[in-house]
Amino acid sequence: MFDDVSDIIIQIRNLSKIYGDGVEIKALDAIDLDIKRGEFIAIVGPSGSGKSTLLHQIGILDTPTSGTILLKGIDITKMSDKQRSKMRNEELGFIFQYHHLLPDFNALENVMMPLLIKGTKRSKAKKMAFELLKEVGLEDRINHRTHQLSGGQNQRVAIARALVNKPSIVIGDEPTGNLDTKKSDSIYELLRRLNKEYNQTFILVTHDERMAAKTDRIIRIVDGKIAEDSKNRKDF
Amino acid sequence: MFELDVATRHIKSRRRQTLFSIIAVSLAVGIIIIFMSMMSGYTSILIDSTTENQAHITIMPKEDEDYIYLYHGLENHIHTLKGVGGVSSYLQNEAALQYKHNAEGVLLYGINPEDEKRVVNRDKYMLAGEFVSIDNPGSRMILGFKLAKNLDVNMGNSVTVQIPGAEPTDFTITGIFQTGTPIDETMAFVNLGRLQDLHGSGDVVTGIGIKIFDVYDAEELANGIDRETGYDAISWMEQNAEILNLMETSESMVYFFYIIIFSISGFGIANVLIMIVMEKVGEIGMLMAMGTSRRSIMLIFLLEAGILGMAGVVIGCVLGYGASLAIASITIPIPPEMYFGMDHLPVVIELKNFISASAFAMVINIVAGVFPARRASKMNPVEAIQSV
Ligand SMILES: Nc1ncnc2c1ncn2[C@@H]1O[C@H](COP(=O)(O)OP(=O)(O)O)[C@@H](O)[C@H]1O
Ligand SMILES: [Mg+2]
Repeated sequence: MFDDVSDIIIQIRNLSKIYGDGVEIKALDAIDLDIKRGEFIAIVGPSGSGKSTLLHQIGILDTPTSGTILLKGIDITKMSDKQRSKMRNEELGFIFQYHHLLPDFNALENVMMPLLIKGTKRSKAKKMAFELLKEVGLEDRINHRTHQLSGGQNQRVAIARALVNKPSIVIGDEPTGNLDTKKSDSIYELLRRLNKEYNQTFILVTHDERMAAKTDRIIRIVDGKIAEDSKNRKDF
Repeated sequence: MFELDVATRHIKSRRRQTLFSIIAVSLAVGIIIIFMSMMSGYTSILIDSTTENQAHITIMPKEDEDYIYLYHGLENHIHTLKGVGGVSSYLQNEAALQYKHNAEGVLLYGINPEDEKRVVNRDKYMLAGEFVSIDNPGSRMILGFKLAKNLDVNMGNSVTVQIPGAEPTDFTITGIFQTGTPIDETMAFVNLGRLQDLHGSGDVVTGIGIKIFDVYDAEELANGIDRETGYDAISWMEQNAEILNLMETSESMVYFFYIIIFSISGFGIANVLIMIVMEKVGEIGMLMAMGTSRRSIMLIFLLEAGILGMAGVVIGCVLGYGASLAIASITIPIPPEMYFGMDHLPVVIELKNFISASAFAMVINIVAGVFPARRASKMNPVEAIQSV
């Protein structure tokens, strides 16, 4: 019944984000949220409810108007740009609706990029990137560039890239939003498998209730507030 | 260095535009190197011909005196100074030369040819005869070839010299010189002792010419002589101040021109970078999400400016070198008595010109990169990612 506190990887307290000068938009309204290591979470809710805004806050891509976010016990709202970059590089993996692969690099080089940014040796980065591309089933596409790959393949490369640094938290903003049902099913299965394999925390925004139902926990956001936070039964 | 990876890929992805900006920088650097080589050429020709054709330091009489009376002692003193290569005292006098119906005004110099040769290499400019032919107090004369032409005299002819307050005296022409400078038309040499006799003012001179080994020491040495002897010692720089000033002025005008040319090429680089930054907004956002710091983003685009600039500079140096060589090899159809006897455009290829043109170009190119690079580094990652 009671969660082990030491297992909490993300702790959000009283988090608000207000946009706009003149007409204020309260994108996030005093959110409190605890997320545990290894959880596979779906964030759902109507369009414009604040899902992406919340992900950007957790991903240290933006700063809140008020409130605190602790990642692994560290208050990210008080960090310098350098510290934020390092944290993003080492602890966070991002998957967006659009793959955002670098068009001037091939699949392998794209997956190597977070490692190179970290300062990993090229030869080691190459090996690790190849392992992950194998994991997502693209070992025979490593020299392809994005325009030579399908939408689903590009998204798999993006997933490999998000995971290559072994981040403790992977966030996805409608990661299958551009794919058809069949492809998006297989991507979800892939993410789920990776989540089990590496015990990484996954937070995925989706408006696909069918997908959400396959996760451990569904957080519903309406008007910048958490309207529902329910655990799916794992042993069902 | 992933920054370098990203920078080079960006450049490769925009081949045509980057090539264009590289060409712009190359041309700018090349043109400026050609200009600098020519400026160096003119400067060195001017300085060489100036320092070859006149004494490096000239000692003049004290302020309210017409002559240097105790010049032998002064000569001896100057010989003891460090860096002095030759000392030659002279008596200068305005005179009229007459041959048949022709008459010309001249500056008549009385000198000891052996001393004079150690100050200015007069032998080098002799068209006919020997400079040392006036080494004893006979009535012999050496004169400039234009003067000879104007008087219509030749070797062996006798000209009549008229000095105010002295009897007209005949001198035999024993030498004709040609320097390519105005003195060819105005100057004649005779033996110092002979002129002193004619002049009737005793053993005096109107000036002492000094040659020194390093021409750039002239100013300092002249000041020293000034202080020590009380005579007025003038360096060649002081004597040619007008020309040297003119050269400096034109050099600073040329700098203005350099800045304009480099700015144009700098704009070319800025333009390409702005284009790349605009095209890569989403990519920049993703790089930030992957953990690239703002400093690294800045570095990526500065590197791009640096790479483009460097490529342009290298090509420009090669271009400038080749073109300078080509210009130096062109023979110009100018009579040799003009322009200090040059028959080629004066081009001096100097490493320092390549270094300064390259450094100048690189600084401007990097500065051109700063604006786009800052713009990229200041992007909000969320907005950048959502822009696609
Ligand atoms: N950069 C922004 N400037 C102003 N308003 C914004 C900005 N980003 C998001 N919003 C507003 O904040 C609210 C939440 O947006 P968002 O988090 O993107 O919603 P969701 O992802 O749930 O669709 C919306 O009303 C949206 O218009
Ligand atoms: Mg959204």
